[in-house]
Amino acid sequence: MTAPLLDARNLTRRYRLPRTSLLHPAPVLTAVDNTSFTISAGETLGVVGESGSGKSTIARMVMAFETPDAGEVLFQGQNLHALSPYELRLQRQKFQMVFQDPFGSLDPRRTVGWSIAEPMRAIGADGDTARRTAEALEQVGLPARDADKYPHEFSGGQRQRIAIARAIVTRPALLVADEAVSALDVSVQAQILNLLMDLQDDLGLGILFISHDLAVVASICDQILVMQHGKPLESGPAAQVLRSPAHAYTQTLLKAAGVST
Amino acid sequence: MFQLADFSVSFGTATALRRATLDIRQGDRLGIVGESGSGKTMLALALMGMAPDAAKIGGRLTIDGQDMTHASERTWQQMRARRVAMIFQEPMSALNPLRRIGDTMMEPLIVHEGLSRAQAQARVLALFEEVGIPDPAARLRMFPHELSGGQRQRVLIALALACNPALLIADEPTTALDANVALRITDLLVRLARERGMALVFITHDLAAVARTTKDIVVMYGGDMIERGPTAQVLAAPAHPYTQGLLAARPDPTVPPRDATGKRRRLPTLPGTVPPLAALPQGCRFSGRCSVELPQCAGTRPTDHAVDPDRSAACHLLGAAP
Repeated sequence: MTAPLLDARNLTRRYRLPRTSLLHPAPVLTAVDNTSFTISAGETLGVVGESGSGKSTIARMVMAFETPDAGEVLFQGQNLHALSPYELRLQRQKFQMVFQDPFGSLDPRRTVGWSIAEPMRAIGADGDTARRTAEALEQVGLPARDADKYPHEFSGGQRQRIAIARAIVTRPALLVADEAVSALDVSVQAQILNLLMDLQDDLGLGILFISHDLAVVASICDQILVMQHGKPLESGPAAQVLRSPAHAYTQTLLKAAGVST
Repeated sequence: MFQLADFSVSFGTATALRRATLDIRQGDRLGIVGESGSGKTMLALALMGMAPDAAKIGGRLTIDGQDMTHASERTWQQMRARRVAMIFQEPMSALNPLRRIGDTMMEPLIVHEGLSRAQAQARVLALFEEVGIPDPAARLRMFPHELSGGQRQRVLIALALACNPALLIADEPTTALDANVALRITDLLVRLARERGMALVFITHDLAAVARTTKDIVVMYGGDMIERGPTAQVLAAPAHPYTQGLLAARPDPTVPPRDATGKRRRLPTLPGTVPPLAALPQGCRFSGRCSVELPQCAGTRPTDHAVDPDRSAACHLLGAAP
């Protein structure tokens, strides 16, 4: 077996909370506690949990927006948090992110083409941005001429397609999707999930898929990691976790997703 | 108690709610399901007499036999709280952050029922107990930011119940909440409706939540009520192609993402998106996205056809069948 695309080892992240008293040290919240997981190329890991369970903190550490207090993130064998800022910037083209809110994540005053090409400019590779932008738009099922339009001309589902186009324009190996379909209507949600699966098959992407909705995670993920209060509760192949959930909390999530256990 | 007959709300040429017909009786638990832009929130606002001023209203709304279609704001103020109350999606923004929970809670009791502060406070404590808020006396002095999302939603439910409404409208009450908190809130709503003999209108796009909470269901699309019937039957065997598509598009966690050969299973989808109100097709609102297309679909509005004695759907397919 080849080395995994992403290998997160014993990640821990603590936040210092506001002081409650002058006489005591500030309380510390452990947002993520000793959590490990791996993602191989072409594979999807789903991270489920309620708000405050540490899902988004995991995404931010994998994206190297934040440094873990302990543990390391190995991407293609390289420790992301040990890279110099310049090296990290060059590496960023290989891992990209899709955010929850398709309305807030695109600059309303810039054309869609400008926004999609932004990661290209960030890595200094703006030679053939026009061609690459057109290619990315077509990969997400939008016509290339849409590059000249503005975000307000698109529906929520189309905007999320644009956000995905921006994430794949640098031809990344890993995609981090944080609640990427949560703000969408059910019928549009299924379209975007299918798009993610198609892109994964075409490009061999590894996907870190974060969601509070177990039904959505179950429909596209190979592996599942259930988080609660910053701690990994259970993990394993999706089919196994769903068929025989070991924890009462996972059963609750299944019940909320409409499955009686 | 509440009756809507051919009730419409429109803005210029855009119809947000078209010829809605609805009968709500004591003890009913009715789910209104639809995607954004389907008109479900407009329906809720209409039942509260809160349709925007710019809207043109047609048809008839009666509450306890009284015609409320064009009732004045004064008349509505009498009606609201006593007969109908509403809880909203965002428990964060529905409470005034600068007022203590207790003051917010006591206001309707003092204004609508003329209670003294002491009487109002006793009622509020009883209400908090009823909706399962722990340590109610301490909560009265707190500000909204000191409560969790689930607790805040419970406060809003208690607030809505303050004047013993006959109908409680819950507009997406669980959408902003975590899965396990949402489960407890829906259980609470069902329990309160049962114990109080209160009618509940539960508006949501969450099919799992509506299945747990309601006895009957109305499915809306593009301002039209396109299918209705007992919740269990409609969800088990939907008659309208839109309802079928909506149910199929909802991922099923028991189906693994890959089949035996390792090939991915794609989710069934509804093509396209809900068009803007002004751009909806003339005939069936769903034509253009529907998997079946009869010659009359694009030009003619389908009427309600009975599926069973207590179920109906507005679709030409059902009219064509013998």
